[in-house]
Amino acid sequence: MSDIHVAPEMWKPAARIAGAAEQIAAPSLTYWQDVRQRLWRNRPAMLGLGFIIVLVIAAIFGPMVSRHNYYDQDLKLSNIPPVFQVYEVTDESGATTRFFFNSGNLNLYEVTDDGRIAGLIRGKKDLLKKQTVFAFGDVEVTLNAATQTLTRGGGVVLAAGGWQWNMSNLFGTDQLGRDVLARQLYGARISLTVALVATLVNFFIGVFYGGIAGYLGGRVDTLMMRVVEVISTIPLTLYVILIMVVFNSGFFSVIIAIGSVYWVDMARIVRGQILTLKQQDYVAAARTMGASTGRILTRHLLPNSIGPILVALTMLIPSAIFIESFMSFIGLGVTPPEASWGTLTSEAVETLRAYPYQMFFPAAAISLTMFAFNFLGDGLRDALDPRLRT
Amino acid sequence: MSQPLLSVRDLRTSFFTSRGEVQAVRGVSFELRPGEILGIVGESGSGKSITCMSLLGLLKSNGKVIAGSALFEGEDLLQLDDRDLRRLRGDEIGMIFQDPMTSLNPTLTVGEQVIETILRHRRISRAAARQRATELFELVRIPSAAKRLRSYPHEFSGGMRQRVMIAMALSCDPKLLIADEPTTALDVTIQRQILALLRELQSRLGMAVILITHDLGVIAETADRVLVMYGGMVMEEAPVRRMFARPSHPYTRGLLASIPDLRDGTHQRLTPIPGSPPDMRRPPAGCPFAPRCRNAMAQCVKALPPIYEVDAGHGSRCWLHHAEAPRVEGINELVPA
Amino acid sequence: MTAYVLQRLALMLVTLFAIITLTFFLMHAVPGGPFVSDKMMAPEIQAAINAKYHLDDPIWVQYLNYLRGIATFDLGPSFKYAGMSVNEIIAQGLPTTLKVGVLALICVVSLGVPLGIVAALNRNRWPDTLVMVIATIGVAVPSYVIATVALYFFALRLGWVPTFGLDDWRGYFLPVFALSGFWISFIARLARSSLLETLQMDYMTTAKAKGLKPGQILFKHGLRNSLIPVVTVLGPVVANLITGSFVIEQIFALPGIGRHFVLSITNRDYTAIMGITIFYAAVLMVMIFIVDMLYLVLDPRIKYREAR
Repeated sequence: MSDIHVAPEMWKPAARIAGAAEQIAAPSLTYWQDVRQRLWRNRPAMLGLGFIIVLVIAAIFGPMVSRHNYYDQDLKLSNIPPVFQVYEVTDESGATTRFFFNSGNLNLYEVTDDGRIAGLIRGKKDLLKKQTVFAFGDVEVTLNAATQTLTRGGGVVLAAGGWQWNMSNLFGTDQLGRDVLARQLYGARISLTVALVATLVNFFIGVFYGGIAGYLGGRVDTLMMRVVEVISTIPLTLYVILIMVVFNSGFFSVIIAIGSVYWVDMARIVRGQILTLKQQDYVAAARTMGASTGRILTRHLLPNSIGPILVALTMLIPSAIFIESFMSFIGLGVTPPEASWGTLTSEAVETLRAYPYQMFFPAAAISLTMFAFNFLGDGLRDALDPRLRT
Repeated sequence: MSQPLLSVRDLRTSFFTSRGEVQAVRGVSFELRPGEILGIVGESGSGKSITCMSLLGLLKSNGKVIAGSALFEGEDLLQLDDRDLRRLRGDEIGMIFQDPMTSLNPTLTVGEQVIETILRHRRISRAAARQRATELFELVRIPSAAKRLRSYPHEFSGGMRQRVMIAMALSCDPKLLIADEPTTALDVTIQRQILALLRELQSRLGMAVILITHDLGVIAETADRVLVMYGGMVMEEAPVRRMFARPSHPYTRGLLASIPDLRDGTHQRLTPIPGSPPDMRRPPAGCPFAPRCRNAMAQCVKALPPIYEVDAGHGSRCWLHHAEAPRVEGINELVPA
Repeated sequence: MTAYVLQRLALMLVTLFAIITLTFFLMHAVPGGPFVSDKMMAPEIQAAINAKYHLDDPIWVQYLNYLRGIATFDLGPSFKYAGMSVNEIIAQGLPTTLKVGVLALICVVSLGVPLGIVAALNRNRWPDTLVMVIATIGVAVPSYVIATVALYFFALRLGWVPTFGLDDWRGYFLPVFALSGFWISFIARLARSSLLETLQMDYMTTAKAKGLKPGQILFKHGLRNSLIPVVTVLGPVVANLITGSFVIEQIFALPGIGRHFVLSITNRDYTAIMGITIFYAAVLMVMIFIVDMLYLVLDPRIKYREAR
């Protein structure tokens, strides 16, 4: 048999490094490092997290730095859009007036050079001819209500100038002349606070209830879970509504109503986690080695069950936001002049025909927030699912 | 020697994961004669299951056969298109899986699951297929067979479920039965019953069997020939008696030393093999076992050893069988009596 | 089997009873009591309500009387609409709500499930991405936003559909779409992940190893098992279609029960609120019972797990 040539020194024993076999194996990550890494790589989840952080900062500090507040009304300056086309009229003396035409209420508003609203321009209404005449010095501008056109003195149609962002009210004003941006920021505050507090209340009730059921087990567990089963078949939104009817609308009622109703899922998850963990070998091992109940709970049970609970929490926040806005939408949420995203949307619906753009900001705000929380929740769930580990 | 039923040459299979290519099987070759029971033994991750899944095209979607051939009755399984492979599966080649709990569909009766296999491959009536299924249940000794056809998997015990799996695998008289860890999920007493049943059915029906296991006891009890796999390769191949009498690879010796020998009666110490299997994303250039081998030499780390034929039908992938290698007691030197 | 059906039936009745009790006492917990503090009430109505509810009786007598009324399917008179019973209010709104709701439910099942299957079978390819993008939008954007935006574009701007009412068949499009949008998306996502999970099961490998054809494997072994979680959420779907109808009927000005319900909330019409809530709960209980029976057909394991 012609054997492969091997140099004689190669027959010496290989230098055996202690733990060589282990060193060759891939650098293994701990569970949480792995989770963090996977979450970090999940772009939608990170975008969502980024948006939530920005939103929270805006909700906390926005109302403090804003020039407007959420309740001051100015009926003369109602329904001002965030962007408009500027017209310019120069009279004989050479003074130029900049203004824009609000087609929703057929008013002209004077605009300063830097895009601020200077005020409403008064005109003479001619109800017979259905037109309004505005005087700028000796120049007369006629507004024809039917055709919505502006003509100057001799019948020359006034041409619109460039688009201008409303520098007084960045998001425009609502039908009562309140600053939409200020109301949005304040609404974010209310919506986020309601969601957060309600979620926390649910979390504590759920952990408490599920924890007791799971920890005690046996007949207590069976009974408690039957109760949960009954509750979970009750249409909960209806109960939020009923509780709101009892307590009357308002910020705290919303929190109580939402907070007291949606803990069932959390209780189920916590109980399930505790039940499976109770049977885990490592818990038995820890107990055998003399670990105390408290230590088992904090060191072994909690870190291992926190994953699904975290996901459930992240998912509960957007549904709380949604329920709150839903309640406000049907008139059961926070009371005016307080604002939440639901009341803002519902107010925008009232003016949908004349000022459809007013729908944009509240709808965008709530939708983006829902996206952000959904993405983050999905990302968390994927990152925490050990079956996806490769 | 008769024509081999299955002849696998240089099979290579990889999985493509987010963290790189995992070379699960790296050049496995073996032959299987009709009516033979071949045991494949190895730790988890040694590539033994993947080898068989590759043959039947049952790899998960990120797994791919890179190279090699597998002639089954003159047809290369690895070259067959999906349709022809489906025709073979369940008909010529039956398969049993590790966990009978999850391998049966929980929402269909076991009878339906056997009958659908028969109807897929045989042109017979449903009634005839049901009759056949009843016979199969009797064959694998499921009591009151006809009645049990209407039961669901969760109404069976683990051992009974595995009998259903066996009946299903045998439903079309396969020439080859692949049993992937058939007893691992079962109690020890049930294990023995299932193994005895497998052996009995094999001798009665005359099919060839590939028995995949990590349990040397199962091999000793059942197989005719053994393949020892490690790091996606065959380390040693031998008739079963010879394997236990004269293991010629340090890894096989390690495996044997790590199981208790109760017949011995003496209180000998069990010797575990230190270390863990290699990372198959970056498999070592030399012998995959070298980092854990107590006899490792510089050559072992540098180059992969070929398979040396130490005896008729007994091969060992170890540099110690090189003519110039130093003598090591028990491997390339007879143990003094 | 019989034990399971009886058990479900019992649970349903217990839940309904809990709902009636809870609703009754919640409505009677309104500060000042629900029926006394209103000064605008005409004396004859006050008398009628007093007669019906024996308002001077202790609360548990009132409660028993109310239960007796429900047992004979009598939800009592409306508190605000003189001469109208809660039964009549419900009967008036039911056709509208039922038509839109049933259409929405049909859309949810017949669009959501196939979309999820298509996505799962094309995992990580463009149909999957497309379905998931749409479904993510559908889950995240609240139904009232979808409804108003759709109303603005399709009814006000394009004029393809009427802005309110169901007199024209085209009037159904937007309400049904807005009502079912969330659940189509939700079911699509659920069906997708459920099917993907099922495809990973060992028994799917077994089915493959038996040489079954891909179609057989998918329909016989894959779909049926992956539909179980989908069926499970049908109860909550109905519950949410009911509550969803509150805003949808308001936005599209549909004379359904949801609109009556919101109106009775605004008017503090406590008997109507109570009656409609109980009616909704009863509808939901029936639906949940149907789902439980469906479950029984789909998953044979349930008989044993539950009956024990």
